[in-house]
Amino acid sequence: MMGPILLIILPFLGAFLLPIIYRHYNQAGYWAAPVVLVISLVICIGLWHGVNIVGPQSLVMGGVSAPLGIVFYVDALSILFVLVLLVGSLILWLGAWHRRIKEEMLLLLMVGGGSGLVLSGDLFNIYVFFEIVAVASYGLSASRRGDPCGYAASLRFLLLGSLGSAFILLGIAIIYALTGTLNLSHLAMLAPQALHGMAGLSAFALMLIGFAVKAELFPVNTWVAEVYAHAPVRISALLAGIVSKLAIIVVLRLLLLLYAHEQAYMLLLCIGVAGLITGELAAFYAKDLRRMLAYSSIGQLSVIAIAFSIPGTLGVVSGLALALHHALVKTGLFMLTEKWKGSISSLQGMAHSAKWPSVLLIIFALSLIGVPPLPGFWAKFLLFKAGFSAGGGYSYAMLLILLSIIIEAAYFFRVIHLLYQTPAASSTPLIPRNKELQPMLVISGLLLLVMLTIDPIYHHLSKIATQVVDVQAYIDHTLPAWKSTH
Amino acid sequence: MNLLDLLLLLSLLTVVLMYFYGHRREAGWLGVAAYAIQLLVLIKLYSYMQSDRIIVAHLSFSVMEHILIWGMTGLGWFFAVISLGAALFASWYTAGEWQDTQKNMRLQHIVLSLNVFAMLILLCSQDFITLFIGWELVSWASFFMMTHSGGKAAKAAYRYLIYAMSGAVALFAALVLIMVKLGSTSFSVFWAALPTLPDSFLWLLVVLFFIGFSIKMAILPFHLWQADAYAETPGANASFLSAISARMGLFALALVLLQPVGIERLQHLMMPLFTFVDARTLLAWIAALTAIIPTYIALQQSDARLLLAWHGIGQGGLMLLGITVGTPLGVAGGLLHAFNYATYQGALFLAVTAVLHRTGTTDLDRLGGLITRMPWSYVVLLLGIIGLAGLPPMNGFVSKWLIYKSLLDQGMPLLLVAASISTLGTILSVYKLIHNIFLGQLRKAHYEVKEAPWSMVLPMLILAVIGFITGLMPGLALSLVDKAQMALGYDALPHHLGGLEWKTGSLNMLWVVGILIYGIAIGAVVFYLFGGRSHKTHQWDNYAGGHFLSAEVPYHYSHNFYPGVMRVIGGWFRHQTLNVEMGIRHFVQWSAELCCRLSQVAHPTLYMLMLAVAALAFVG
Repeated sequence: MMGPILLIILPFLGAFLLPIIYRHYNQAGYWAAPVVLVISLVICIGLWHGVNIVGPQSLVMGGVSAPLGIVFYVDALSILFVLVLLVGSLILWLGAWHRRIKEEMLLLLMVGGGSGLVLSGDLFNIYVFFEIVAVASYGLSASRRGDPCGYAASLRFLLLGSLGSAFILLGIAIIYALTGTLNLSHLAMLAPQALHGMAGLSAFALMLIGFAVKAELFPVNTWVAEVYAHAPVRISALLAGIVSKLAIIVVLRLLLLLYAHEQAYMLLLCIGVAGLITGELAAFYAKDLRRMLAYSSIGQLSVIAIAFSIPGTLGVVSGLALALHHALVKTGLFMLTEKWKGSISSLQGMAHSAKWPSVLLIIFALSLIGVPPLPGFWAKFLLFKAGFSAGGGYSYAMLLILLSIIIEAAYFFRVIHLLYQTPAASSTPLIPRNKELQPMLVISGLLLLVMLTIDPIYHHLSKIATQVVDVQAYIDHTLPAWKSTH
Repeated sequence: MNLLDLLLLLSLLTVVLMYFYGHRREAGWLGVAAYAIQLLVLIKLYSYMQSDRIIVAHLSFSVMEHILIWGMTGLGWFFAVISLGAALFASWYTAGEWQDTQKNMRLQHIVLSLNVFAMLILLCSQDFITLFIGWELVSWASFFMMTHSGGKAAKAAYRYLIYAMSGAVALFAALVLIMVKLGSTSFSVFWAALPTLPDSFLWLLVVLFFIGFSIKMAILPFHLWQADAYAETPGANASFLSAISARMGLFALALVLLQPVGIERLQHLMMPLFTFVDARTLLAWIAALTAIIPTYIALQQSDARLLLAWHGIGQGGLMLLGITVGTPLGVAGGLLHAFNYATYQGALFLAVTAVLHRTGTTDLDRLGGLITRMPWSYVVLLLGIIGLAGLPPMNGFVSKWLIYKSLLDQGMPLLLVAASISTLGTILSVYKLIHNIFLGQLRKAHYEVKEAPWSMVLPMLILAVIGFITGLMPGLALSLVDKAQMALGYDALPHHLGGLEWKTGSLNMLWVVGILIYGIAIGAVVFYLFGGRSHKTHQWDNYAGGHFLSAEVPYHYSHNFYPGVMRVIGGWFRHQTLNVEMGIRHFVQWSAELCCRLSQVAHPTLYMLMLAVAALAFVG
């Protein structure tokens, strides 16, 4: 079965061939990238279906079996996030890319890299794919010329990101020095003895810092607001909504497989709590809609990190629910800001000329705050259930999240309040173009669909969570040869 | 499909109807018809409301291993009657001329129907999850109602939103804590576990529930948001909001915490540090203070709508006080007061809106002498304030009597004194209300003012008459209260048409009102038969201290009413709660600025280094 390889190869191939296709067949070039994505999506859905029926599968590359060879591991979690990545980038394709070849190429690279990132079964490949995603995102965030602020922001992003990658590499090196292997399942077997010491945990800390740059965790998230405020909205939506989730999923994998250790959980919890406080408060202060959304996504990702730091399936389920919900909603919210950038006060009274975008903003905001019966409520419900069940420090973290809900409501409804005021006399109506609304409509449709199917989704997520938490199954699948010895 | 399904469906259909036909002129009548039909269904449900029977709707979901069902008990039914009644009269009021002055009548119709629907959903909640869902629906629906007219109203509504979110968050926490601790979210499991819950956990729950529900009721210290928000809402909807919206808090508090088992448990729940005070006494005193302080704030208002809205908060305190007494008499008093209050407060708000409609202002310093121009509005306002002040022959007297009686029976004389102080404040300020609007000198500007049209007078008049009839024959309202009381688990009061027989003293309003009317009749006879000669004069034909006063000399004493009282109590109003609110706001603003500054750095890599050092130190 070649499915997982195709998921990675096809976008890469598309990216490399895109300039050639454009040169020779302009019209075909315009459709090439979406077609690649659609084919990937079909493969992905096929794999998803397969995983649901027969359970996780692993794929060995190059004829050398694990732990020496390259391993791809397809389980419900990884395939789910590949699906999210593909669907997300397809939805963002709706509307306009206007033959921006470079952006399309970089986006395909990002899709391929992202798929590889979640599917990889060894640390080295994770690092490689992470770098690909990172480089693509630096390129994307600086892809529009003529905006010096955007350039400066992406340069800062680049500096921070590459330093983060260096930290990841350092962490991987430490692990390799300690254990002599980089295969995740092999490491999972060795972890309790080899990695739960000081050196092993410091490797986790270093890797966490590296991934935290992409996952917008405190305090290496200072790039977020600037980059999102100046990058094209689609890029902001993609980075905030989806790419950040991939990074945090990798952290979850590492945490579950290698570092099911109290200190690792606590470290993630502390970082999450600090990010929650600073992110939400900064969003409260922000005077610009895009920056507000950016800070809000810092806060939300911190909440997801807190959820993942709760040991056990409950924490994983709630984290997954929050991640998926945030991927939907934040993508939608960013798509709103194509026209609505700059100071919030310039939005006064815009609801009168742009009725539907305002209504969509309200729906997304309500769901993000967590108002029943919208999906956001159920995600938060799961989170609090997990957090209060875990007790101890987690209860205080939950308390902070509860307080942050009030602040979220305050800053979102300050904007909405402004939208529905009488327009200022001198203002020109900023009506988002219909083309920009298409992705948003799709996303809000998805949101309502999720609302109606909460129960099946919850059961599916619980299934995923139990699968992910089961380390032994992971080892058995990827190292079948070693099954007998253990 | 049973009657409850029908009710919910009809309510939802009303929302749809208003969405499509709300812009029509006859939408108000459509609303009247829709609410009347729903009310009929409710009346039909009356016979189903036995003490422990629940009529369950077929609306049901299974979510995350919880099965959500909605069903109605007597308590929900009682509040549903009030909400539908209030909606009916509010809709009627908008059916005529008044709608021409409104620029967004369609929205007003939609939000009204939405509020009714949300309330019905809340009133049918059967476990903590459905309660929370209903609670959120009601909160957002009333936010919508307050905010849609924009401007000042939207500002007040935004403040409400922050308060409501705080309440919702507290409720959310309580819901999850109960689920984690007891493994179930159903009410009955919670009540069964209540006697054995550890004190610390129960205190946490009591505080969380109190925050959650009392924010809606604007109980002290969360009272700041309500008056502005209600007063700025357009008239008809304001009457609906103030008549019933805040009572949802009372419903939820009674449902969750103030059943007999709850009261019993709260009496044994001693405060930490102050072990001579138990939770119920604390709650009763908070309720009493809520009855007093907002009432005296109302006394200071110079706007009729604000004055009424502040009174609403105070009356809510009285209702809570009645229910926390926890005897059949007290609970009946509290619930009956909710019903009675809805009738006269609805009438009062509508009457004040009629004045606003005709004169363009509700500023108490700019009105006066309207009695000759708007006699019917005057009658409504008079009946309304008699009810608000709790004097016979209106229904407010009966419920206050029940509450006072229960306080006496339970040996709580100090609370009785507190309640009387509140009533004193009410009497003072309602006199100010009627005097400044209707009595005294007519302003020159209002010389041409006409009575409000019948489409407006009739609904408010009927509300006031209902207030009178249920005052004359409280048995009518008490038979509604019975259902709610039995659903809560208290014995029904032995009542008859005119009042009730009670071992420590009975009340028969037929007699009370009869004697009152008899006394007035004798006075009238004496006045008309044996009085001296009289001649009618013009309203402006006045003398003061021997000086002739013409229309050019304004002498209607309205500004700075009760300076003596204010001098005495003025020192007590130092905006303590407001200062706390401002303090929190500034703290959040300040820390938000700090966090925003923190993330705007030129050298983000420095942070990374700091994190690396800290994280390595943490794991090391």
